[in-house]
Amino acid sequence: MAGLCSVFSVCLCLLGFSAAVFEDQVGKFDWRQQFVGKVQFALFDTHSQASKKLLVATEKNIFASLNSRTGDLFWRHVDKTGPDGHIDTLMMHGQDAVVVVGNGRLLRSWETTVGGLNWETVLDTGSFQSAAYIGVQDVVRYVAVLKKSAISLHYLSNGHQKWVENLPESDTVQYQTVYSGGNGQVFVLGVVPNSHIVIVEYNIEDGEIMKQKSVAAPWLSSLQSSCVMVGSGVLLCADPTTKSLYTFPLQSADQTTMTPILLESLGVEVAAGFQPVLISTQPHPARPPLSEFFLQLGPDYHILLQLKDGLVSTLRDFNPSYLVAFATTGEKTVAAVMSPKNETASVINLYSADTGRRLLDTTIIYSMDPNGGKPAKLYIHAFLKKDDSVGYRVLVQTEDLVLTFLQQPGRVVWSREEALADVVTMEMVDLPLTGTQAELEGEFGKKADGLLPMVLKRLSSQFILLQAWMSHLWKLFYDARKPRSHVKNEVTFETLSRDEFNLQKMMVMVTASGKLFGIDSKSGTVLWKQYLENIQPNSVFKLMVQRTTAHFPHPPQCTLLVKDKDTGLGSLYVFNPIFGKKSHISVPALPRPILQSLLLPLMDQDYSKVLLLIDDQYKVTAFPSTKNVLQQLQEMASSIFFYLVDSSQGRLSGFRLRKDLSTELIWEVVIPTEVQKIVGVKGKRANEHVHSQGRVMGDRSVLYKYLNPNLLAVVTESTDSHQERSFVGIFLIDGVTGRIVHEAVQRKARGPVHFVHSENWVVYVYWNTKSRRNEFSVLELFEGMELYNSTVFSSLDRPRPPQVLQQSYIFPSPISTLEATLTEKGITSRHLLVGLPSGAIMSLPKMFLDPRRPEVASDQSREENLIPYSPEMPIRTEWFINYNQTVSRVRGIYTAPSGLESTCLVVAYGLDIYQTRVYPSKQFDVLKDDYDYVLISSVLLGLFFATMISKRLAEVKLLNRAWR
Amino acid sequence: MSSPGGQGGALSTRGAAGPRRMKWALELSLGNTRGRGDRQSKDGDVMYPVGYSDKPVPDTSVQETDRNLVEKRCWDIALGPLKQIPMNLFIMYMSGNTISIFPIMMVCMMAWRPIQALMSISATFKLLESSSQQWLQGFVYLIGNLLGSALAVYKCQSMGLLPTHSSDWLAFIEPPQRLEIMGGGMML
Repeated sequence: MAGLCSVFSVCLCLLGFSAAVFEDQVGKFDWRQQFVGKVQFALFDTHSQASKKLLVATEKNIFASLNSRTGDLFWRHVDKTGPDGHIDTLMMHGQDAVVVVGNGRLLRSWETTVGGLNWETVLDTGSFQSAAYIGVQDVVRYVAVLKKSAISLHYLSNGHQKWVENLPESDTVQYQTVYSGGNGQVFVLGVVPNSHIVIVEYNIEDGEIMKQKSVAAPWLSSLQSSCVMVGSGVLLCADPTTKSLYTFPLQSADQTTMTPILLESLGVEVAAGFQPVLISTQPHPARPPLSEFFLQLGPDYHILLQLKDGLVSTLRDFNPSYLVAFATTGEKTVAAVMSPKNETASVINLYSADTGRRLLDTTIIYSMDPNGGKPAKLYIHAFLKKDDSVGYRVLVQTEDLVLTFLQQPGRVVWSREEALADVVTMEMVDLPLTGTQAELEGEFGKKADGLLPMVLKRLSSQFILLQAWMSHLWKLFYDARKPRSHVKNEVTFETLSRDEFNLQKMMVMVTASGKLFGIDSKSGTVLWKQYLENIQPNSVFKLMVQRTTAHFPHPPQCTLLVKDKDTGLGSLYVFNPIFGKKSHISVPALPRPILQSLLLPLMDQDYSKVLLLIDDQYKVTAFPSTKNVLQQLQEMASSIFFYLVDSSQGRLSGFRLRKDLSTELIWEVVIPTEVQKIVGVKGKRANEHVHSQGRVMGDRSVLYKYLNPNLLAVVTESTDSHQERSFVGIFLIDGVTGRIVHEAVQRKARGPVHFVHSENWVVYVYWNTKSRRNEFSVLELFEGMELYNSTVFSSLDRPRPPQVLQQSYIFPSPISTLEATLTEKGITSRHLLVGLPSGAIMSLPKMFLDPRRPEVASDQSREENLIPYSPEMPIRTEWFINYNQTVSRVRGIYTAPSGLESTCLVVAYGLDIYQTRVYPSKQFDVLKDDYDYVLISSVLLGLFFATMISKRLAEVKLLNRAWR
Repeated sequence: MSSPGGQGGALSTRGAAGPRRMKWALELSLGNTRGRGDRQSKDGDVMYPVGYSDKPVPDTSVQETDRNLVEKRCWDIALGPLKQIPMNLFIMYMSGNTISIFPIMMVCMMAWRPIQALMSISATFKLLESSSQQWLQGFVYLIGNLLGSALAVYKCQSMGLLPTHSSDWLAFIEPPQRLEIMGGGMML
């Protein structure tokens, strides 16, 4: 009976926690954007003229099809991360695309219209070198895959292997290229660096070696970087040292040396120290390549050359030119060249490939974004117009990973910000007030200057308010007459203002490529973007909000600390998060490597918070460093502490600031690296508020929480990965005194550990190696039934250790990331947001992760609403806050409070970006969407009038009675 | 009604009592003749003697039995609140300790009545003025009301409506001010 009761009470509890949205709420306050990442291969479907498909394979191991009219995704296949899913090559023939994945692990053929898999073959081991279509008599039948020591031929129709042959002398020869001219042979080219080239010819039918020869090439180190196939089986190589081209016809029976052609004889100069790059094209895989090719001689210098009868002639000289590309439509092959026009624009022209003649009316003007990067890659989609002339569209990828699709004469059809596929860190900043609100703020913000001016100011601001209200009314009236679909709600800087509940914010996102974005959280529109040049690929970013929007007329201010991993040097980039403009504030020079930064709650006279930067000599630089700030720092120095965690040496150290801005080491904890290594450390979030200082027990006494703002959660993993001996350790350390408040070891457990540290609890997830399952564990700290000191908290005066409670639960799924909801005042109950590898984001009530859950329900625990302990944590699909809008490879979840206590804003980022709101305790401070305003107001009005009428009647009746 | 000569009378003679057979009649009833249903008789028919009043004159002479009555009456007033206590106890027992509309209404009534009585205690004292044991009675009255309100408070307590536990004051505890500023993290 008791069991039944407890089941019933659990069910009751669960009823209250459905976080799912209703069907009509879909897309109302949430949005998702999908990305693919940096494009490695892009192919246009030239199978039919009306095709809109653009196939891309990216460095994020994604193979996708984009709609070339709109830029939307048709379909997208997300493969494994890391080298296992790396896309080695992408080839397309007809309707099918052939992809080699995972360094030659798999060969796949995809149907490109719907993105279905035709077939998949597991290839033999060996590192992938190249792949090529093999055609026989104008028909492409096979695909050849060249590995380090073997070549295999597969049928294109079903992927079955026709034959596989080991390559001769593969331990000395580096085989790199496979080539077929479409006439029944397969050539495999290899090189012994700085010695000779090896050419092996195979029979298509049985894989028998037909011929094998070697050609001396003592200057050549790699075929892939300096050689191409041109014309009917001619190998063409470029040698930067002698500044000459070498040709060698593969089929020649007697020739044993390569023919040199000096570049000077062509009348061209190679830029000093530049490796010449050859670009050729093979329009049809069953036919030999064209005899025309590009030679890149400098960063901005290309020439179009032609090889005819063993002689090279210049067709056209393109100086300067950024990018070149070939494209084929029908029987025509064209070359597109992008050359600079002026400071802000480039021009793309089309040239006939066989003559080098410029085609008329083929100019596309590409205007460059002043805040963006230079164009990096050019892809051409050529098509035949009705009058048989060649038309084209271009896809440009820039250094800051913008994909822009243009058509003549320079109209941008669409553009995609692929840098957003790799968001590193983000912040949400409140939007500014509208002009009128700001005016009012300004009125109260300024100092009083006499009675009359104040009255006048008040009158004028009231008048402005009235004016704004009238115009708002007029706009409402005006919009109401139009059909709803016509009312545009585009977000621009002019319309950008804080809404009454502060639900709309500016998302400032920092991406790994060094591009910053300002995104409107309501619609997902990119409002500003800024590309920071010269950012090293493995830089570390730390974004801080120094001044919020609350200090009108001072503009809000964000600071991005960028640290170069190699040199250790850091730099500061200060900008306005609303408009994205770089601030003109002078930034301190940072000559020494930066170890960590610390944002203090102190403010200078301009209301910007003080940022301390700690360099490798443990000296501190303050930013801003005005006299006021330095004075405040001197006063506060003895109460400013910071900690540093050196994971490589397993050392945690605490420092205290001195008055002269140097530091002194006050504590040190060493966790021996031979046994375990520190994988993560987390303090509490600075903007977290805890409303309730304790928990009410069943007997109505209070168990006070141990709310130490200086507490750190340090997670370690054992270096021994044996499943019997591996463990996960968690240390709770006071960051001021270095005192270990609590330590726990989870035996037979392994990472990756995800953890959240908030209020008085730490939740962490690990892999249990013994039971082979994921487990959640929760630690809660309580001070006891009495508060030690209820007015101030000092880590230096805590005589009693806290009581620690712990409980663990089984979670039926691995997780990708973990975060807790955050609200304005901390009154709303907390939920954990769990990002699952499936792409779902689950809102898990913290109530389920409560170490006080009793094993047997008692009256007191029922009074406290504690759910009886059950080891299994359920996953309910109605807890998924993103219903079917899955977020691929979710890497982080950002939560921000809104102006409503019940509402928490959530942004999940990874490959995709998803923004929504969650209501952990339901919308207790908002009327429901379906609230019946009409009924309520009509009832109220009716009652009001009824009262009036009956009052009147009563008066009349009284009067009559008095007369009687 | 102080004019005695106006209406009604103890004796009336009817000269023109045509349909009646009796030659004369004596009317012995007082007051209005309407009571008898005799519609023909007009106002002013009956004549009262001078000095007659149709209201009985109160007997103002104080008697010993009346004094006892006053005492008794005053004790009734004084003991009223005490007498209600058993009834209140019964209601309390019946309504239970759950927080719902009816027990709350009961508690409110139980608490309100003694408070009301205590507020109008001066009026009650005026009532008791005539009694010789005025002070004792007033004291008893006060005790009774205080007991009643104590009972209401006890009921509130047993229903958990009184903020007597530390948890009731939890929401008012301000978060402690932190004395140290701390920050940092993994070495970048």
